[in-house]
Amino acid sequence: MIRRLYRLWPNPKLLARLWALTAAQAVLQGLLLALLIPILDAVIRPEPDVGAATPWLVLGAVGALLYAVLSVVATPVGFAASGTLAAQLRRRLMRHVSTLTLGWFTADHKARLARAVTADVGNAAHLAVTIGGPVITSTLLPATIVVVTFAVDWRMALLLCVIALVAYLALRRAARIAEITEIELERAAAGVASRAIELGQAQPVLRAAGHAEGTPQMRAALEDHRETYRDGMRRARRPFFIYTGVIMAGFVAVLALTAELLLSGRIEVATAIVLLVLAARFLEPLGNLIELIGALRALRNQIARVEELLATPTLPVPAEPVRRIAEADVEFSDVTFTYPGGDTPALKGVSLRCRAGTTTALVGPSGSGKTTVTRLIARFFDIDSGALRVGGVDVRELDPGTLLDEIAIVFQDVYLFDDTIEDNLRLARPEATWDELREAATAARLDEVIERLPAGWRTRVGEGGAQLSGGERQRVAIARAMLKRARVVLVDEASSALDPENEAAITRAIANLGADPGRTVVVIAHRPATLAAADHVVALDGGRVVEAGTREELLRAGGAFARLSSQYERARHWRIAKADR
Amino acid sequence: MKRSRSQPPGLAGPGALLRLLAPIRTHLAVCAVLSCLSAAAGIVPYIAVAEMARLMLDDPAGSRTAIWTWVGVGAAGAGVWLVLFVQSSRVGHYADAAILHDLRVRIVTHLGRLPLGWFRAAGSGKVKRAMTGDLEEMHEVIAHALGQLVGATTVMVVATGYLLFVDVRMALVVLGVLLLTGIFFRVSMRSMTAHMDRLVTADARISAASVEYADGIQVVKTFGTGGRVLRRFDDAVDEHTRAFAAWVAEVRHSSAASRLFGSEMTVLAAVTAAGLALVDRGLLGVADLVAFLVVAIGLPNSILPAVTAAQGVRKGRMGAANIERLLARAPLPEPANPRTPGGHGVEFDRVSFSYDGVTNAVEEISAVCPPGRVTAIVGPSGAGKTTLASLLPRFYDVSAGSLRIGGVDVRSIPSAQLLASMSLVFQDVALLRDSVAENIRIGRPGAGDAEVREAAEAAHVHDVIEALPDGYGTLLDASGGGLSGGERQRLTIARAILSGAPIVVLDEATAALDADSESAVQEALANLTVDKTVIVIAHRLHTIAAADQILVLENGRLAEQGRHDELLVRDGLYARMWAAQEGVLA
Repeated sequence: MIRRLYRLWPNPKLLARLWALTAAQAVLQGLLLALLIPILDAVIRPEPDVGAATPWLVLGAVGALLYAVLSVVATPVGFAASGTLAAQLRRRLMRHVSTLTLGWFTADHKARLARAVTADVGNAAHLAVTIGGPVITSTLLPATIVVVTFAVDWRMALLLCVIALVAYLALRRAARIAEITEIELERAAAGVASRAIELGQAQPVLRAAGHAEGTPQMRAALEDHRETYRDGMRRARRPFFIYTGVIMAGFVAVLALTAELLLSGRIEVATAIVLLVLAARFLEPLGNLIELIGALRALRNQIARVEELLATPTLPVPAEPVRRIAEADVEFSDVTFTYPGGDTPALKGVSLRCRAGTTTALVGPSGSGKTTVTRLIARFFDIDSGALRVGGVDVRELDPGTLLDEIAIVFQDVYLFDDTIEDNLRLARPEATWDELREAATAARLDEVIERLPAGWRTRVGEGGAQLSGGERQRVAIARAMLKRARVVLVDEASSALDPENEAAITRAIANLGADPGRTVVVIAHRPATLAAADHVVALDGGRVVEAGTREELLRAGGAFARLSSQYERARHWRIAKADR
Repeated sequence: MKRSRSQPPGLAGPGALLRLLAPIRTHLAVCAVLSCLSAAAGIVPYIAVAEMARLMLDDPAGSRTAIWTWVGVGAAGAGVWLVLFVQSSRVGHYADAAILHDLRVRIVTHLGRLPLGWFRAAGSGKVKRAMTGDLEEMHEVIAHALGQLVGATTVMVVATGYLLFVDVRMALVVLGVLLLTGIFFRVSMRSMTAHMDRLVTADARISAASVEYADGIQVVKTFGTGGRVLRRFDDAVDEHTRAFAAWVAEVRHSSAASRLFGSEMTVLAAVTAAGLALVDRGLLGVADLVAFLVVAIGLPNSILPAVTAAQGVRKGRMGAANIERLLARAPLPEPANPRTPGGHGVEFDRVSFSYDGVTNAVEEISAVCPPGRVTAIVGPSGAGKTTLASLLPRFYDVSAGSLRIGGVDVRSIPSAQLLASMSLVFQDVALLRDSVAENIRIGRPGAGDAEVREAAEAAHVHDVIEALPDGYGTLLDASGGGLSGGERQRLTIARAILSGAPIVVLDEATAALDADSESAVQEALANLTVDKTVIVIAHRLHTIAAADQILVLENGRLAEQGRHDELLVRDGLYARMWAAQEGVLA
């Protein structure tokens, strides 16, 4: 645990200092208690002689002063540690994540990242500081007392050793059972949570079906949670009971042993009293340990989540990467690729070539591998076999920065930063002149959108671009690609969620993109107009290229593409009312 | 329920917690009493140690029996402590499980009465938070904080009582130390709220920056703007560090002081110094000093749990306030004199609606959608299409005017009946975590397997279902269990077909689909809409060119109305939209 915490922070000195201070305090505490031995010895006489204890009292005063100094020194160190550790770990996490491939950023991973970077790091840093102290004190203080007790009476010391050992075993068991219970409780809680989400999403359906008061499944999930909770608590209570029982039995054993030793005349009264005081101070912190296991477990879980993120491997970077490409051709030769965790390949033996200055349209049913092709070009993932070359260079040999410099991506869900339109465009080229900005906006048909916006170029687009419609956001992305002068542009055309105006504008904008003789455009096409404008059409099905050629060639061939086209045609002429009207 | 509804919304403070916990008052009281007794019993072993020491100092040989008696008393105290403690925790957890369950049921029931528009605005996240996070914070209070507070208080009272009994002067020394601790603690906590606010804000900024980075990662990476966005993150982290440092700078001394005075060692030093001074002057017996060494030194530690518990209570109050606010949200009014519609025609009669009470999202719209006919709603984004359609199932109630089905105002129709009379097919498909068959059957609970299958066939999804590992018995999870968007959509259409509801509301139902799944969904829709009163929101005009009636909205108002041909002739907004779209398709 300590090692794991230590590894987590790039600069663990702070944590080490804090823990060293705490450990010193715990040992000092034990030693100060040991001073009670000679002091009590001096006063437990028929005639109490405080004077005889003076040297010890002086020593005690010095010790107490030292303790006070340590206390005062440790407090700001602790504060600073929890603040600095959180900041350090947050930076480390983000730096690591920024080296990960684009393919890593799934919704699930993003949610995990957000959680790790805020709650987990914050809590872990806080707990490492606040729990570290008590844990160290609760173990080192009893240990010191045991050592001291050996100097007084070996039998009592042995008894304390036995108590500590049994307590340790009971604690381990309690921790294990608590962990199992927690897992079960989390499962039940997750059940409630997902039913709650369902309740929120499917409310109209549920009400229409007469389930306004919750479905039987919802009720069952709630019942399950209650029962799991009760059951878990019942089971977790036992080891807790046992641990505390061990401590209490130890207490009674100490009382009995002291009474026996004294009454049988094997120890003096003074010794007996010292033993009682020491044993009481030994048992109390030991008993507190059980209160800490919950927090320790939480800390362990938080660390585990952060560690998991930090352990995500980055894409390998070649030792001597290629930093320039001549032409922006894209070429797949016999590429096979399976998504991490998937069992069937998303692409099987795919070969295709997109020449600079041309527009290639990818078509095929959903799941055919269109999106995978574009993702691989941008190196979201590395291929399993075959070769994928951009500008004649294997993408794995290219400097990742160089590759991304050449590429612009226009996906269906375009994310915009909560900034002005101008800033969102300038991302592509911060030093762009106004003329260049306007030119890009015009080519992307964004000019008419900007004209309509309340503050024109200075309109803020809201978080994620919420102020703009999906089609308008795509036009921003296309304008960025223009401005960036990216030589490879990957477009995932919005399938159909567009109003006529946006549809027309985007088709025009994509055509404008393809007009540059040096640019390679790869577009996942959903609209006949886009297909018509493409120089080259590649039809995919089940991860394989089934047809490739010009649109006319494929239509004549009467294969998969022709079938797909007629489906498009049918969808296009579909009317919601009956055909006879 | 009635009581909480009469509470003004937004009421927080301890009241919400107490009110929500009212049903388990008795359990909580028992739990508190048990905690109190167990804590008192827990001190007995320490007192036994002190008393044994007294006897030993007095006359060990002569008090053999008395010494063993105290060993017995100590053992009994320990045993009683243990048993009572476990009992108190059992009662607490029992009541906790019961109240959490009851509150969840209350929340679910109440949600079932809220206007559907609330779900659209708040999202399922808010439902989830109320059902899990907020309740768990209340759980902390019931299961842990209460017992800890009562226990710590009892220990303080009983131990202080014993110490006062042993020696008043020494007891006052100990209390003095504890008082100083308390004062310094209060000082260090004084400005906590202000600093907490700043820290929470900084936390939110860190979270937002990391989410922004991850969401915009494609832009970040392909435009090499990682540095800029990371800087935003770094700034947020720096601000957090600064906020934290500011707080620390202010409380550094006070909290160091409270830590120092609250430590065992300070009590030990005070007790030893004062005690020996008194012993030296013959004013205090050694036995009394030992009593203080045994009982007083542990006191600071036994107060600590109360501090954590107090923080737990604060959080619990916030959770309770959130829950109460949700429960206090006004339900959709149910009609006092429910009426049954006399048909399936829909009539908008000068309907206006405003989300914020300031600007109207739809304004003064009048139109009649005859039964069994198709009415299309079209218009640019933001024109109010979706808003208008969502007034029909009463996602929201009209601000002015009236919306009637079969001549009856929708507000006069019991909401379950109203919803059962229409099928809603939206872009965002809501599937239940249940089997495929049940997902269809929910359209008409009680329908037989053959009917479910028939509906699936009509929705062109039967073959897809048969290909699933367990066919109709396949369990779907939240993400739809490997079904594509179009297949999920067809599943909801099968549900709608099974329900046979006479009114169908379609909102961009095929908009988010690939062309290949689109045609299958279209065929399914064709089967769904036969002889129904259809209200369809469309972006792609060709799909509704054959509609019986087209309502063209612009800025919340009805700009044009008529059939496709009529509207083209008129050469207005619709004609322009049509021309733009055909221009693309041509």
